[in-house]
Amino acid sequence: SFSLTLIDALDTLLILGNVSEFQRVVNVLQEGVDFDIDVNASVFETNIRVVGGLLSAHLLSKKAGIEVEVGWPCSGPLLRMAEEAARKLLPAFQTPTGMPYGTVNLLHGVNPGETPVTCTAGIGTFIVEFATLSHLTGDPVFEDVARKALKALWKNRSDIGLVGNHIDVITAKWVAQDAGIGAGVDSYFEYLVKGAILLQDKELMSMFLEYNKAIKNYTKFDDWYLWVQMYKGTVSMPVFQSLEAYWPGLQSLIGDVDNAMRTFLNYYTVWKQFGGLPEFYNIPQGYTVDKREGYPLRPELIESAMYLYRATRDPTLLELGRDAVESIEKISKVDCGFATIKDLRDHRLDNRMESFFLAETVKYLYLLFDPDNFIHNDGSVFDVVITPYGECVLNAGGYVFNTEAHPIDPAALHCCRKRKEEQWEVEDLMREFYSLKKTKKFTLKRASDHSEGESAKDPEDAPSEKGGDKRNSKKNSHSLLSCPTQSFNSKLAVLGQVFLDNT
Amino acid sequence: SRAKDVTMPAKLPVNFFSTRSPVIDLFRGQLDYADHLRQDSEIVLYFFYAPWCGQSIAAREEVEHVAGRLSDQVLFVAVNCWWNQGKCRKQKHFFYFPVIHLYHRSFGPIEYKGPMSAVYIEKFVRRVMTPLLYISSRSKLLDFLSNYEPGVLGYFEFNASPQPPGYLTFFTSALHSLKKDYLGTIRFGVITDKHVAEEISLVHSGSVYLHRHVNTSLIYPNDVMNYTAENICKWALENREMLIRWLRPHGGKSLLLNNELKKGPALLIFIPYNPLSEINPLLDEITKVALEYHNCNKSQPAEPDVQHFGDVGSPAFDSSAPDAHMKLSETFSITKYPCCNTVVLPQWHSISRTHNVCELCINQTLGVKPNKVHVPHCNFLEIEAALDSFYLQERTFFQVISNTIECNNFLSFYSPFSYYTACCRTVNRHFLSFLGSEKTIFQTPRVAFSSHGKKGTTQYSVPHIEDRNCFIPDLHISGTNITGLSCRTNKTLNLYLLDSNLFWIYAERLGASRSTHLKEFATIVDLKEEVHYVLDQNQSLVGSTLENFIKNFSIVYSPLKRHLVDDPSVHFDEQRVIAEVTTNTFHDTVFLSEKNVLLLYYAQWCGFCASLNHIFIQLARLLPPDNFTVARIDITQNDLPWEFMTDRLPTILFFPHRRKEQSVKFPEDFSVNLPNLLKFILNHSRLSSSEPCTKECLHKETVLQQGHISHLEREIQKLRSEISALHQAHDQLEAQLSEARREERRLQQQKHTLEKQHKTLQLHSERLQATYDQKNQELLEMAEKLQELADASESLLKENTLLRILVASREGKLHNKDKIKESLQSGQTLSEDDSSASTATATLEEKEIGNIDTIETEHSRRNRTE
Repeated sequence: SFSLTLIDALDTLLILGNVSEFQRVVNVLQEGVDFDIDVNASVFETNIRVVGGLLSAHLLSKKAGIEVEVGWPCSGPLLRMAEEAARKLLPAFQTPTGMPYGTVNLLHGVNPGETPVTCTAGIGTFIVEFATLSHLTGDPVFEDVARKALKALWKNRSDIGLVGNHIDVITAKWVAQDAGIGAGVDSYFEYLVKGAILLQDKELMSMFLEYNKAIKNYTKFDDWYLWVQMYKGTVSMPVFQSLEAYWPGLQSLIGDVDNAMRTFLNYYTVWKQFGGLPEFYNIPQGYTVDKREGYPLRPELIESAMYLYRATRDPTLLELGRDAVESIEKISKVDCGFATIKDLRDHRLDNRMESFFLAETVKYLYLLFDPDNFIHNDGSVFDVVITPYGECVLNAGGYVFNTEAHPIDPAALHCCRKRKEEQWEVEDLMREFYSLKKTKKFTLKRASDHSEGESAKDPEDAPSEKGGDKRNSKKNSHSLLSCPTQSFNSKLAVLGQVFLDNT
Repeated sequence: SRAKDVTMPAKLPVNFFSTRSPVIDLFRGQLDYADHLRQDSEIVLYFFYAPWCGQSIAAREEVEHVAGRLSDQVLFVAVNCWWNQGKCRKQKHFFYFPVIHLYHRSFGPIEYKGPMSAVYIEKFVRRVMTPLLYISSRSKLLDFLSNYEPGVLGYFEFNASPQPPGYLTFFTSALHSLKKDYLGTIRFGVITDKHVAEEISLVHSGSVYLHRHVNTSLIYPNDVMNYTAENICKWALENREMLIRWLRPHGGKSLLLNNELKKGPALLIFIPYNPLSEINPLLDEITKVALEYHNCNKSQPAEPDVQHFGDVGSPAFDSSAPDAHMKLSETFSITKYPCCNTVVLPQWHSISRTHNVCELCINQTLGVKPNKVHVPHCNFLEIEAALDSFYLQERTFFQVISNTIECNNFLSFYSPFSYYTACCRTVNRHFLSFLGSEKTIFQTPRVAFSSHGKKGTTQYSVPHIEDRNCFIPDLHISGTNITGLSCRTNKTLNLYLLDSNLFWIYAERLGASRSTHLKEFATIVDLKEEVHYVLDQNQSLVGSTLENFIKNFSIVYSPLKRHLVDDPSVHFDEQRVIAEVTTNTFHDTVFLSEKNVLLLYYAQWCGFCASLNHIFIQLARLLPPDNFTVARIDITQNDLPWEFMTDRLPTILFFPHRRKEQSVKFPEDFSVNLPNLLKFILNHSRLSSSEPCTKECLHKETVLQQGHISHLEREIQKLRSEISALHQAHDQLEAQLSEARREERRLQQQKHTLEKQHKTLQLHSERLQATYDQKNQELLEMAEKLQELADASESLLKENTLLRILVASREGKLHNKDKIKESLQSGQTLSEDDSSASTATATLEEKEIGNIDTIETEHSRRNRTE
């Protein structure tokens, strides 16, 4: 095995303040982890848990008092391990469409006869980890495959702008055509937003905004999000899935706090009914769905509460936190850990504890009640690190959590390799500040060259064009990479109060 | 190893309440037993809970507290309605916990939907216990009617049958109303005395009356609607007068505020409220203002004057009122409103300014005339008289300073039968109100207020409206009277009350001070205009300030200024690289500073802002601090005047030095990075002039160059540390390189030895090959020899046969026995020779196989070394 739970829970230790244990585990991992094993692993899970966990541990290791190498954060033992693990996944991306297989053998690559059907999230949940890897190591291959996979999904969306649940990565045919925001799709949307934030990438954001429009149009009913047929938009399942509860948190990141809060309050009522969120909840019937009554202590609702609490400071969110603590403590605590709730109707327990309980649920719950945690840093404190590539400002807040709750410091992405050219440019400009004869007019550079180059090559894929009139998108003058400010009534939108738009 | 399909049932339920608790805890969900218990008690409260539910756990204590106070009259039963083996879970289906149900005998369940706080629960239980108030006397009637909450009265004559007809229905409708309206905002009373009933013109037993303060009161239309509990309740709810409403959000998703605030501008008044307390002077005062505000038909007061303030006179006055007044108010059971005005007492100029003010209240005692018209404001004569009475007495106003109340009784000039009681109390804090009499109003210039939001200079002698700490004087609203204002203004306010014990968070978010211990706050919220105004918290929340607040809002050129909420948790810190700006420091930091200012609008929750932190930190560290400020403002926590607001985040504004009004916005379609920001600043910060160089210019130049030098020095410092980092990295590399070289040498040596071994092995193999060839040769030779031998033996055999034939022929010829024996012996020796030759061949073959084996092993060894 490759010590999955240990890697997954590593940064939780630091966020909870247990520095010594963090250091011990880092040493254990360096000695004991081997990826050269004949094991079939999920490409998606390995990425979010192992690669993500190692990357965040690597970036936090200085904060944890570990003596780092000179080249840190651009080199280090944990980074090398992350890179090694990621390289094991690269063979899965060798498909005609660029969309990866779901499973890969760590030793032999893709098994002959492997099924080509992968879920949407299994294709579009790489950009955060892989772009970070590329920026830190200087090897662009990771970011490139992740982007290629994202674009392939974008190209294959339906005419009404939705994506299904499973797709054949060889033929690009949709195998499961249910469209929604939950299981099978969830982290695809999440990574479009988080990728856009992390990389200041307009292209990813415009993709998300297009999807967001379609989702609002076809799946949203009374602040619930249902499942619809991806080509026709007809409702196929009127259920709420426990996994969907990440959505309000995501909305709050892009400034849609009102809608986020309204949906959150809906989800919270389900929690109040059962003391947890069932995997499926039938909305019209107001009850669980057969065979989907379990609650494996998933983090999504608590995650959303944490994000929303940042935005609203609404005590209702702390109440959910209190309820979650009580539920977990009263229902699922057993001698050796916290057990999965097999059935929410009678609170029968299963003989397992999921890895995400330690990695995510505990972490988000702790962060909800600890507003002074370094993770919530608003930029008022920061670290300066001297690297061979120059001076770096790090740990200035704005951490982007991957979908397994591993925080990535966005500043670290600007720290390695490409920096030198920018530094000389800055130095030249600084000279201008001190000269009296200022005559030159400077022209500002457009958005990051990456997306520009890509879209120039492949103009048909540029999302702004498929999304409608080109003039329209230009008229819409505000930057895609921004949030709307909150309206006046948001001052009163606490303790369950919601406001309707006049528009 | 763990078994896969092993599950564990949920733990068995245990006691939720302690065994000593007055609450009966049916933790196994015995609903049948709960129903059985209900038969023994008149009033029962059921508390349905789930043991894992945080809200149930929180409410447990509150219910226990109520049970401790009421257990002698009410039965408290808690039922675990979660355990799936329990009866309760099987029969009831709740969507949330806890659920509180009340039963009044057989009537129920009445669900309690209010806040889970002991006082509110207790109040509700008490209402269920006595849904009707018995009005036995006139004073009780007045008491009942004076309440701000709508009241329904029934008149029943109890002398006839054991229970008059319709009484039970009326009683039930009172209980019924509690189902709809957990607050019990509609009070139900029953009159049993004919004379009392006549006061409100009820003559027939069984008639029901809805009291309204402003509109005409109603009598239940028996002929139009059926006389049922539901109908009475519905009728009362539909027709009740809501002069002032309590807002009590229940915590779940709700549109309550949305619906109420969209009706128009709203005055929200936050007061700490205890539902159990009988008297609430502040609330009475607010009610009075509300009544006045809505009292549109001044000439025709619809109702008897029912303002009845116990026996002390006025709620604003404590018991230190003089005896004379006590007597008076006892004699005449109904007193008029006190009218209050704030006056400056001129002879106290020597004392501090704040104590120079007196709130003068006049209680006019009248004969018992319930239909009397109100005199809400003291008229000039009254004030004059009151003042005179004070001055004449030449009292020393020690008590005034120590915040006690001075009262004086005097006769009215024109009515010898009425007394006035004039009381003076110091107005606490900065209540700087000036004379309210009409005399002064004429002397004051009318002040028209320019548009708000700008800090202009003021040439008025009166305190300028923009000055936050100054109270807006009465004189601005001269001529405006609050009575019936709601009908005269086009900016009608809806009035709401909120319990600050439960909902103070709204007040805080609208700008109430977090530090204050007194949780009183009043604000006017206009959702449509997206503004709100705040009654200065330094003023005490009393009727008069509230009145002024309303008046100021209503007049055409409202002197009220949009309140800007700022974040009090931010402290100005010079050490910070990026200056944190708030509403209060915005103007100083941006406009008054002698620097170029780059201001970032952000919000902590916006992902796109937070990921730019490091860029702004770098920028702030880079720019010369003497000429540039990099600042930011959290726009969610800090309001700004409209002209500085933005609708997207992040927004970057640059305010060039000396041209602060010409701020420029960083273009949104460019990516925010260090070079772009620097270029942006460079493009907009340069001085426009290209004037010939003067001394001044030279001086500037030197200053600039000095700045440059220091910048370069910093840069050198940075480079040095970078170089040292590089050196370190270099050293590390060096070490690694030498290590690698050593490794290489070692490898080479290994290679050499391996090559040598290889050579020897090759030699060996050649040698082996040679021997093999040799052996092969030998083998061939041997084979040849063998062949020869075989040939020889064959010829020998032939010879043998020939010999035998010869012998036989000889035998035949000779028949001699001795000769036959000889020939047999020679044949035996020949066959021995033959067998020895065949063993030799076998050994040769074995050797050959062995040779091949060794060659093969050599090959493979060579391969490995290669």
